[in-house]
This record gives sequence, structure tokens and C-alpha cells, in this order.
Amino acid sequence: MNETMKKDKGFFLTRWAKRLFFGGGRELSFMEEEALQSPMRTIIKNFFSKPLSRIALGVFIAIFLFVIIGPLFMPLDLSYQDNTQKNVAPGLNMMSVPRELESNLRTIAPGTTFGAGLDKEGKVYTWGYTRITETINLAAIPPEVREARMVDLAVGYDHAVSVDEEGKVYVWGNTRLDQAKLSKPLQEALESGEPLKFKQLEAGNQFSAAVTEDGRLFVWGNSNLNDVRRIKKGYDTNIKKVTTNINTYLVLTNDGEAAYVGTQSNAFSKVPEAARTGVVDIASTGFSNAALKEDGSVIIWGNPAPAERELPPHEGKLVRIWGGRNHYVGLTDSGQLIAWGNNTFNQSVVPALSEGAQVVEVFSGYYQNYMLDSNGKLTKWGLKGYLLGTDHLGRDILNRIVNGGRVTMTVGAISVVISLIIGVIIGGLAGYFGSYVDLVLMRVAEIVGGLPFLPFALILSAIIGSRLTTEQRVYLIMFVLGILSWPGLARLVRAQILATREMEFVTAAKAMGVRENSIVFRHIIPNVISVIIVNATLSFASAMLIESTLSYLGFGISPPTPTWGNMLTGSNNSIIIQQYWWRWVFPAIILSVCTICINLIGDGLRDAIDPKSAER
Amino acid sequence: MSGLWPVQALTSYHLTRRCFRQERSVTQVKKYIALRFVYIIFVFLIISLLMFMLYNQIPTDPARMELEPVRRELKPAEYQELYLRLREQLGLDDPLLMRYGRWMGILPEKNGSWNGLLQGNFGYSNFYKKPVIDVIPEPMFNTVFINIFATIMALGITIPLGIRTAVKKNTRFDGTVQVISVVGYSVPVFIISLVFIYFFAVIFRIFPVMGMKTPGTNYTGLRFVVDRLYYLALPLIVLTFASLGGMTRYVRAAMIESLSMDYVRTARAKGLREKTVIYSHAWRNALLPVITVVIGWFIGIFSGSVIIENTFSLNGMGKLYIDGLNNLDYELVLAMQMFYTIISLVGILITDLSYGLVDPRVRVNK
Repeated sequence: MNETMKKDKGFFLTRWAKRLFFGGGRELSFMEEEALQSPMRTIIKNFFSKPLSRIALGVFIAIFLFVIIGPLFMPLDLSYQDNTQKNVAPGLNMMSVPRELESNLRTIAPGTTFGAGLDKEGKVYTWGYTRITETINLAAIPPEVREARMVDLAVGYDHAVSVDEEGKVYVWGNTRLDQAKLSKPLQEALESGEPLKFKQLEAGNQFSAAVTEDGRLFVWGNSNLNDVRRIKKGYDTNIKKVTTNINTYLVLTNDGEAAYVGTQSNAFSKVPEAARTGVVDIASTGFSNAALKEDGSVIIWGNPAPAERELPPHEGKLVRIWGGRNHYVGLTDSGQLIAWGNNTFNQSVVPALSEGAQVVEVFSGYYQNYMLDSNGKLTKWGLKGYLLGTDHLGRDILNRIVNGGRVTMTVGAISVVISLIIGVIIGGLAGYFGSYVDLVLMRVAEIVGGLPFLPFALILSAIIGSRLTTEQRVYLIMFVLGILSWPGLARLVRAQILATREMEFVTAAKAMGVRENSIVFRHIIPNVISVIIVNATLSFASAMLIESTLSYLGFGISPPTPTWGNMLTGSNNSIIIQQYWWRWVFPAIILSVCTICINLIGDGLRDAIDPKSAER
Repeated sequence: MSGLWPVQALTSYHLTRRCFRQERSVTQVKKYIALRFVYIIFVFLIISLLMFMLYNQIPTDPARMELEPVRRELKPAEYQELYLRLREQLGLDDPLLMRYGRWMGILPEKNGSWNGLLQGNFGYSNFYKKPVIDVIPEPMFNTVFINIFATIMALGITIPLGIRTAVKKNTRFDGTVQVISVVGYSVPVFIISLVFIYFFAVIFRIFPVMGMKTPGTNYTGLRFVVDRLYYLALPLIVLTFASLGGMTRYVRAAMIESLSMDYVRTARAKGLREKTVIYSHAWRNALLPVITVVIGWFIGIFSGSVIIENTFSLNGMGKLYIDGLNNLDYELVLAMQMFYTIISLVGILITDLSYGLVDPRVRVNK
């Protein structure tokens, strides 16, 4: 027993494959030992004897499992896109607060893909992906900001704003779109000689807002995009707090009224009646505003996602709220911290407070959350970063590679199955029946084979695909690939069958009166199956290649459905190739590795099947 | 595309060789060629009919388009009458086959004149506002130039490499080339392009990223040629590199088969120099399958150049084709589709015939 076990040793996949195809190991006596080997067994043995084939198979299985199992953990949201997250470089450092800041923290301003902080000495720190454009980087803090002692700090979509002890306002980052153009009232107030004492600073999408200790509100920034041209009369004083969302801002007056003080009318300007009195705190996400009433109830308006309205169960009543990009964080009077809303990046999962600690302050913004507790410990949750970066619409490349791989492989596999079915049936019939059946079928095969593949697939996809939905296009591509690529296989099968049908066992079957269909598909086809398998493997690789080529040219599977090919669409310009390299390098690598492995497996199989080629 | 066709070519080669062995006399070969020719024409008609049917799936109305300029000046009833008459004149309501015949030029137009594809009427490009026949020449020249250049470069590298790997088979050198060639034919051309652009155009800045000439210049003569070559260098390198994998493997396989033959052993036994054995005896016999594949491959890069031309935005047939599809310029697309079909069919024909032409057994029997 022990000896047979030893003999069975070998690469684990070999053993696994043996068990799969030939059942559990039967003990052999030395008389019958390996005297005869079934052809399939020889093939498998030959295949696994080559290290290159083994590695290729292993890598391919790994990629296959990755794209089959991956989507379970990384579900694809086809409609997801976020401008604030576009073209982010790979990295997981969006919340890596510098250690020297952590121990000496005054405030944190969470940004889109970066963070900024202020220590008690008034020094500004930045972390995360701070690059806004090729030349603008928020980490390049201007010297005058470095020298001054800052007291407050806020970051917006592409700019940062801070005030120093003397009430002077600094803006850096992208200042090309009026982000640094202070409003007239603010300029006048600054020039009046009396130092302004700022209570709160907020920054939104290319605009900023500030509230002073005496309740004055100043708003400035890009007025083409945002509702910041004028402040509604009567609301420039007596202000307690201001929050910003996508293009507007919300204020809380000292009288407990949440008010929209811009001049436009939009989803945010219709403040619900209930939010006009008795409001203790306000917050904004990107697309909604929230007002917290004295009784702990939260009123939400704007364009919230459904999840933003669903408060989780909590003890006590809410006393403070904060808003991120599409989630809210709230603090109850019993000291419990809750979060609700979108949870794509785990930004709505609040980590447990350490024993005996109290929440001192929460900094929430976009997808990041920081919580300072009474022990001085900083807890972070939310988006750490993107392992493989994001594309031009802010979608996670890793997520798209995983889900795109599933689409690419499915399309490849199904088109190969289609071409296999057609090819084997037509080749089998033509080869076996010969004469006019052969003539007609082979002429059909030649017509299909005579179609110029790529141009024809392009025109089919363009003409038929233009009136299909994205999902139907996926099926269209499968069928186009399958229907155009069978002639090669049919010819191969036919040639093999021509050779096989003259053999004795076929004659014997005929003599025994076996039906012709049965002779073709049960006696002859199994004998040519090895050729078919090799061909199918190689055409799987080429189907994937063609699918990605079509998608790359924009005529295959169209976005938002990801495939490895259409992730590379539009990558052929120097800006993307150099600056946003992660957008093409990762899909290109996985697609190439996958097709290389499949081709190596195919080659290995062919060598294993054809002993003559192995001798070479 | 890349993985598939050598297998096809191989089987087709064996089948045709069998066919040639059966019909040995010259007249029979001639008859065979004539038959193939007739057959190719037949296939072309069927494919063009398929294409025409596909084209008819696009909802366009030439009659309405023609009347669009005068539409305002006519009363609705007048317009309707004129419209119907024009439809009748253009024969838009006739059965598909009749319209196909007119388009192809095997049936006369309503007014009795012959004005179809066969008479040289390739249609009118709506996007370029001129006849298709005037749009095509420049891109076609560029594409042919690129393809011929790439073929010469690719053959110049792959043939020596293939022979060398065959002679030194199962050595480390051979193994390395084998693995690299698998990479070469597995990686799609557009990824190779991106990698090459990254290294040669972006990092080292040796070549331009895309385009056909330096913007804003209007060189003539030698400067034009130099400028053009400078811009075409990177696409040509990519095209050459992408073809290395498949071709090298093919040359190697043919050469190994030929080296294992008895006449090679005989030649060696005679004491011939190894160089003579390899190049005069083995290589000349290995040439046969290689030539057929080279022809097929040369034809194949016509449609394959769609990718290269779009990636490097070269003004070639492939780019014209994609632009035509994007601009909904379907008459242009249809004409080009016919061009691709003819190229592909002629390729098949030449491949088939070349089996016979380069097969010594056929020549011996003359």
C-alpha cells in the first residue's frame, strides 16, 4: 500500500487530474503495471511532464478563479461613476495621516482622494493622492502658508483654503477658476483693518464658505458652476454653521433655521418646512442636505440615494451629524457613533470605540472618516485608496478588471462553444458522408472562411449592434465570433474524419449495422477529439483576443459593461500612456498573461497528443 | 485571428497537395485553376449579396435625401408624388435581388444604363462629399506601403531566426525563442503598440506618438520621404514585432520537418558542408509551406492593419474603414468591405495555386 502511494507521487495537479478522469487509484500488481495506457492518460502524462505547461495551467486556473470568484466580493455597479475619484493613481495611502500630526491634532479636512490636516502649531500637512492635474499638486503648499500659523483649514474638490491667526485667508491648489477670488464683502471686511475671527471654514466644488465668530457668512469661488454669486438678503449675519454639497451650500442660523441662501432654485433650495425651526445641526453629502432637529430626528432633502434616508437603529437621540460624499455620520447623546448611506468603500461601517473612550470630534468628507476620541487616538474608516487606481470616470480599475475578466472569458468561452458545435457537426457530416454533402458543406465553409474576419465583424457589430442594448451586444459579439470562426475547425475535423473513417473499427461498426449517425458521433468523433480539444483551446485564446480587439476599437462590448478590451479604449494617447499608466498597464498585463497561458496550454496539449512533435 | 489561421492553412495545404497529386497533367492543372477562378467569383457574388443584405438593414432613403433640398418649395401633395416617382425611378421598391443586381452592375438601371460596381461606380461618400473611388487611393497607397515594408522586415528577421532555432532545436536558445514567440502571438497588437509607444515615444522620445507627418509642415521630395519614414517607423516596428511570433514558429516547424527527411541525411552522408545542407537542401524544401503562409499572412495584414492604423492614427484603409463606420458613411464602408473581400479571396486563390506552383512534384510532371 505504502509503495503504491509513493509511486503516485508527483505534481498535485497530475494526481488530481488522474483521480478526476480515472477514478481512485486501483492497486496494480507488478504483472499488469502500466503495460497499457489509455491515450487520454498518455496525453495527460505528457502534458504534465512539461514544466511550462504546468505553470501555464496553474496561472490560467488562478486567473480563472480570480475572475469567477472575484465578482462575488467586488460586485459591479454599472451606473457608478464619481468625478471626484477620477484618474487616481494606485495606492492605499488616502488616510495615512502623518504620525507627527496624529499626536498633535487640531483639525482634519478630508478631501476627495487626499486629506489635509492642521496641527496645534498651525502647520499644514497633506497626505494621499494630492495631484490635481499635471502641474497642480495640493501637497505643494505655498511658502506663505508654511510660514503663517494657521487656525483653520478646509479642502474642496481641487483647492484648499485656510485662515491664519490674523484672520488672513489663503487659497492654494487649483486657482484657475476663481477659487481664490475672494468675494467683495470678504475683501472689504479684510481691508477694514479689524482682524476677522473665523469660526468655520468650508470648501466645496471650486468654492469656499466661511463663518465668523460674529455670525457673518462669506462665500466665494467659481460662480459659473456654483450658486455663490449672491447671498440671500438677511442671511449674511446671524449664521452658526455652513455646509457645502455638490454646487450649493446650506446654512444654519443662530435661531435654529436651516436655510438655503443662494439665489437659484433647485432640489436643495426647497428646504422642508420642518427644517425651518428647531434645528441643532446640519450636514451635507454630495447630493443631499440633512437637518438634525432638537428631538433627534433627521430631515433629508435634495437628491439623496435611498440608503441616505435609512437611519440605523441607535440608542438615545442624535446630537450631531456629519456628511461625506454619499453617507452620513451621527453622534447620539449616549456617545454612540452611527453611520448610514452608501457603503461601497465601507465608509458607513463605524469601527467600535475603544473601552472607556468618548468621541471628541469627527471629521467626515467624501469617502473618508476620522474620529478623535478622548484618549487622543485617531480612528479612521472608509476609503483607503485604490490598489490599481481608477479610470477617467472614477471607477476602480481592480473592480473592472475582475468583472471585465468575467465578461471577456464568458464571451470567449461561449463563442468557442458555438464554433465548436457548428464546426464539429459540419466537419463531421462532410467528412463522413463525402460526395455532394461534403461539396456543399465545404463550399459553405469556404464562403464563411472567405469573409474578411475583422472588417466583417466590425460592420456586423456596427450595423446590428447600433439598435441593441448593451447586454444584447454582449450576446451579439459571442455569436458573431462563434459564427465566423467555425470553418477552420470544420476543415480540421473533416480531414481527421477522412483519415479515420477508413480504419477497421469503423468498417466493423458498419458491418454490425450500427446507424450512421452513431458511427460518426460515437465512433469517429471520440477518435478525433484530441485535435478538437487543442483547436478549441487555441481558439479560446484567439476569441478573447478578437473580442478585446473589437472592444478596443469601440465596436465590441460597449461601456459601461467592462471587458479587458474596452478598458483599453482610448489609451493610445501619450497623456494616458504616461501620466495615467495604471489605466492601461493592468488590463493589458492580465489580458496578455491570460492569452499567453491559454496558448501555452494549447501548445502543450498539442505536443502531448502528437508524439512526433514531442520528439522535435 | 492569430492562433487560428496557420492550422487552417496547414490542412488546406495538405488537401490541395493531395488534389495536385491526383491530377498530374498540365491541362488538368489549368482546368483546376480555371475552376478555382470561377468558384472564387461565385463566392464573391454570394458574399457581396450578404453584404448588400446587411447594408439594406440600415434605414436610409436615397429618394428622400435627394428631395430634401427642394422639399420646402413643394406642396405636400406634390412632394409626395415626386417622392414616389423618384422611388420608382431609382427602383427602391424592387425586390432585393434586382437592387443587388443593379448595385453590382449585372443588371441595367431603370433607364437602361449600366452603372454598378463592375462598371466602376463604387458609390458616393456622404462624409467626404465625393465619389468613393476618389477617397480611397491615398489611404490604399499608405496601407500597401506599410504592409509591404512590414512584410520585408518581418521576413528578414523571421526566416534566419526560424532556421537557426530549427537547426539548434531543443537548446536553450531555441527554448527562449519559443517562449518569446508564444508571447509575440498571444499579446494583441494594440497592447504591443501601447508598450512600444510608452518606451519609444514617451520615455525615450525617439519616435512621434502618432500621425503621418510633422504637423504644420508641407515637405516635398526627399524631406517628405524622410519625414514620412520617421513617422511610420514605430508602427512598422510594432507590425514587424507582432508578426515575429507566428512566422518564426512556422518557419521552424517547416524546417524541422525538412531536416528530418532522408535527403538531408543523404546530403550529410555525402559529406556536404553543413551550410549547404541547411540552405540548399533543407531550406529550399521547407520554403514550400512557408511561402503559402507568407502569402496568407500578407493578405491578412490588410485587415489586421485596422488596429495599427487606428492606434497610430495613420491615414490608411483601416482607419478609413473605422472612420466610415463611425461617421455612418455606409456606401464607403460597403465599397471597402468589397475590397477586403476581394483581397481575402484573392489571397485564398493565390495560396491554393502557390501550393501547386512551388510543389516540385507538379513541376517534375510537366
